[in-house]
Amino acid sequence: MIYESQKVAIKYFVISAIFFGLQVVVGLVLILKYIWPDPLIGIIPFNTARAIHTNLLVVWMLFGFMGGTYYVVPEESKTELYSKKLADLQFWLLLIGGLVGVIGFLFGWTAGRPLLELPVELKWAVVIVVLIFIFNVFMTMVKTKKWTAVQGLLLGGVVMLAVMWLFAIPFFKNLTFDYYYWWWVIHLWVEGAWELIAASLMAFILLKLTGVERMVVEKWLYIELALVLTTGIIGTGHHYYWIGTPGYWLWWGGIFSALETVPIVLMVLDTLRHVKHRKIEITDRLVLYWTVGCALFHFFGAAVMGMVHTLPQVNRWTHGTQVTAAHGHLAFFGAYAMLILTVVYYALPKLKGLTQFNQKRGFWVFWIMVSMMLTIGLAFGVAGVIQSYMQRGLGIEFLTVQEFMRPWFIAVLVGGLGFFIGVVIYIVDVLKIATHKPE
Amino acid sequence: MEKKAARNLFIWGTVICTAIFIWLTIDTHISIPKRTNTDQLTEEVVLGKRVWHKYNCNDCHTILGIGGYYSPDMTKVYSLRGENWLRLFLKNPESPDPRRRKMPNQKLSDEEIKKLIAFFKWVDAIDTNEWPPQPLTVAKVTGVPLEETAQVLKGKNVYNQNRCDLCHRIGGQGGIIGPDLSKVGDKRELQWLSKLIKDPKSINPGTQMPAYSQLSEDEVQALVTFLSGLK
Repeated sequence: MIYESQKVAIKYFVISAIFFGLQVVVGLVLILKYIWPDPLIGIIPFNTARAIHTNLLVVWMLFGFMGGTYYVVPEESKTELYSKKLADLQFWLLLIGGLVGVIGFLFGWTAGRPLLELPVELKWAVVIVVLIFIFNVFMTMVKTKKWTAVQGLLLGGVVMLAVMWLFAIPFFKNLTFDYYYWWWVIHLWVEGAWELIAASLMAFILLKLTGVERMVVEKWLYIELALVLTTGIIGTGHHYYWIGTPGYWLWWGGIFSALETVPIVLMVLDTLRHVKHRKIEITDRLVLYWTVGCALFHFFGAAVMGMVHTLPQVNRWTHGTQVTAAHGHLAFFGAYAMLILTVVYYALPKLKGLTQFNQKRGFWVFWIMVSMMLTIGLAFGVAGVIQSYMQRGLGIEFLTVQEFMRPWFIAVLVGGLGFFIGVVIYIVDVLKIATHKPE
Repeated sequence: MEKKAARNLFIWGTVICTAIFIWLTIDTHISIPKRTNTDQLTEEVVLGKRVWHKYNCNDCHTILGIGGYYSPDMTKVYSLRGENWLRLFLKNPESPDPRRRKMPNQKLSDEEIKKLIAFFKWVDAIDTNEWPPQPLTVAKVTGVPLEETAQVLKGKNVYNQNRCDLCHRIGGQGGIIGPDLSKVGDKRELQWLSKLIKDPKSINPGTQMPAYSQLSEDEVQALVTFLSGLK
């Protein structure tokens, strides 16, 4: 840390970690409902719990991205933040908005669109929060004379995030159009805007960690992201196979989504190459683990699992089954959860002026989370294959098939309990570092 | 490649692919009205969609394969179950079987149920490129293939519309409170069955099965014909 205003990121990281923990708790509630009759059905039925689980994910990731951005931008722009007050205000607005949203779900205040359940009033509130954020980031960048690729792509990602969100707001009369634009938010976030943000943050960490020349890192960042967007934008088509949209999407979506693996392979190779050709000794082993682990898990969860089941011939059978849940968990964890944890483990100790700290807990978090999320993802995957075969292939009734999937839901529960331990250690670690008092 | 070339690749790649995507979007806009029968997208269907959103149905159920994976897909529910079944079910969805996954009673008004069914009916007709797919093979329900006469089909319909499957199962599908009916045709005679359906307590005073006295004689006859064919 060089600039005082970077410290605003600390509270973003802390809330991000706590919301992450809450998300995991609600996840456990959800999987229990799959296994045993549901005693909580009158208080928090499955749909409410799912809305909370997924929205907490979005909120904690936004906190992570925003905190990361507030850490990176002053250092890249070589200046203090344009306004620390705005960053504080925006933090509180996001926190209150997130809490109101979650509590509202418990009382049935919902727009009823999956993942975009936030009522329309709160959706506009999100717009305001993000505009404050963009304004603050942009004004900081304007102050500087140097305009780096990391800055530009980071800003591009945040702007894209805001623009795509606008499609979450209207009510659509036609269900097909509803889902057509629903994916402009969901898909173009995770395979567009968020990739821009994540890759830029990762490039910054790689720069600092390995000491490889900026020219080299930024060149590969451009190439990666060029491929992310050229494949990912039209790749939205892999969601347009069965929702009432024309048949040519099976071709456009199938081909471009298969190509979506290319940039992720490149990311893995870049990361490994930068580490191999490092110009400085990598002293921070923990951040190195998270960085490389993130690249590899991103590849497995998003690219491999994603490609396999977006082939139209496969998707015809797996669409709308637990295979999607498997891919969703592995991809979000590998591409974004690990990225945010990488950023936090890199930035938080620096913000507290800790040159050395006990990394044992951080390694525990790494190994527990990675192994447990693999368990969860693979168990969902097996459940999904059973479902695709028995329900779609053999035409057996939905609930009957669910009985056959039960052992795998129990495996998800076991993985989830393990993961919960990991996230608790993570929260403790974040709180310990964040509340560290210099001697 | 130099950094500048990489940047140009980024800019132009994104611009060109965005342009293609917008072009495809325009074409999609042109073809969706026909593929989704927007002429039948009445005000009632739209109100039904609002009911669908109001109760957050989509976070348990998928529709067009999108949503929660906790509960069955709703895309073809209208043709699969029929209006009568849907009306009965939506009025009181709770299964009497404590071991089965339950849908909470949303206490929908009759008006809401009507709108929701109109929505399902409209969704049912969307051209989904043949999704969900026809099963590769149909799992064998009973040992002997049913002879699908008009009377048997009618009986099967009575069985489905009155939700007998909540308690009974045939070929592994259905509830576990009542006896398995997969081979009931081997064990029971027509008269015994029709007596049981009309007044179960006359045969077994301790039974939990409700009397189906509301069924017409025709319906009972069709139902027992269907059941006695299960061997």
